[in-house]
Amino acid sequence: MALNLTINTSNPPLGALLAAEHVKSSVQVSVEEGKDTQLLVSDSVQFSDSNSICRYLARVAPAVGLYGANMMEQTEVDHWLEFSARRLCGQPGLNITLGELNKALSLRTFLVGHALTLADLSVWAALKGHNEWPIQGESFSHVNRWFSFLSSQVPFTSVGKKYTTKKA
Amino acid sequence: MTNMALRELASLEKYLGLKKPNKYSTQGDKKVPVLQNNNGPPLVGLVTIACHLVKEAQRPELLGDSAESRAVVQQWLEYSVTKLNSCTKEDSKTVLKDLNVYLQDKVYLAGNQITLADILMYYGIHPLILDLTIQEKEQYVNVTRWFDHIQHYPSIRHHLPVIVVLRNRIYTSRHH
Repeated sequence: MALNLTINTSNPPLGALLAAEHVKSSVQVSVEEGKDTQLLVSDSVQFSDSNSICRYLARVAPAVGLYGANMMEQTEVDHWLEFSARRLCGQPGLNITLGELNKALSLRTFLVGHALTLADLSVWAALKGHNEWPIQGESFSHVNRWFSFLSSQVPFTSVGKKYTTKKA
Repeated sequence: MTNMALRELASLEKYLGLKKPNKYSTQGDKKVPVLQNNNGPPLVGLVTIACHLVKEAQRPELLGDSAESRAVVQQWLEYSVTKLNSCTKEDSKTVLKDLNVYLQDKVYLAGNQITLADILMYYGIHPLILDLTIQEKEQYVNVTRWFDHIQHYPSIRHHLPVIVVLRNRIYTSRHH
């Protein structure tokens, strides 16, 4: 089963690209540049929303563990996907949102459980693409530590370099 | 009393995936571990033997992957032997306070990759964390987070019990 991910180059879906990088050892995903972001599963099934693409990729590659280790963690992952879509993407005034994220990260290395999940990918991607983030980041030490830790890991380094330089 | 250093070395061997466990003896009143080396003089001391095991397992990145991180790793290895061993109740507060400040912006002791420093410091600090109340664990929030991460890191814990760590803060108004 080969999947095809087309990405909108003027607004690249970083979370979906990261998820694709993480699952590529167990699922075949090709990435193409185009006009609209879309994951082509079959002729009749396509996903165009970044969170839906992330969810699908995590579910077809359960061994990678991107959806957490149990039902509780799965629910937490869902929480953070919604959090990134509603509270971070394109929202002005990040202060309150970052405060909540900072509190959640004070005793955690990863957002959910003890390993990397979609929650980390999606929240990291939303912050990376947010133009207020680097300025606001200073005052939220836990978010800062978590963000720069992820940024230093493969494939965050490669995806970050490849797809964010194009943005003005 | 069981010798902690020997148990730590045995756990480290398992973490490193070394198939054949070594036989250790001890030396002096402080029971310093000694490894009789087949092709050379005996190796003496926890950190010396630990570094040797890492090289034997061909995991040099655990000693740091740049000149700077190698120096930081050695610094924390020395710290674990000099400050954590024979640590009094008073000392332990200073250790936790300093470490808490240091770990504010770090996931691992030498930056963004796990090293031998994290493993030996985790073994060494375990008795200190075991004594902390929930409130104190939250006071040293960065130490607690680092500790919880290492104790859940695959196959490091072995001989030590899991210490319960709350994953959300309850004394939120408290300044750290």
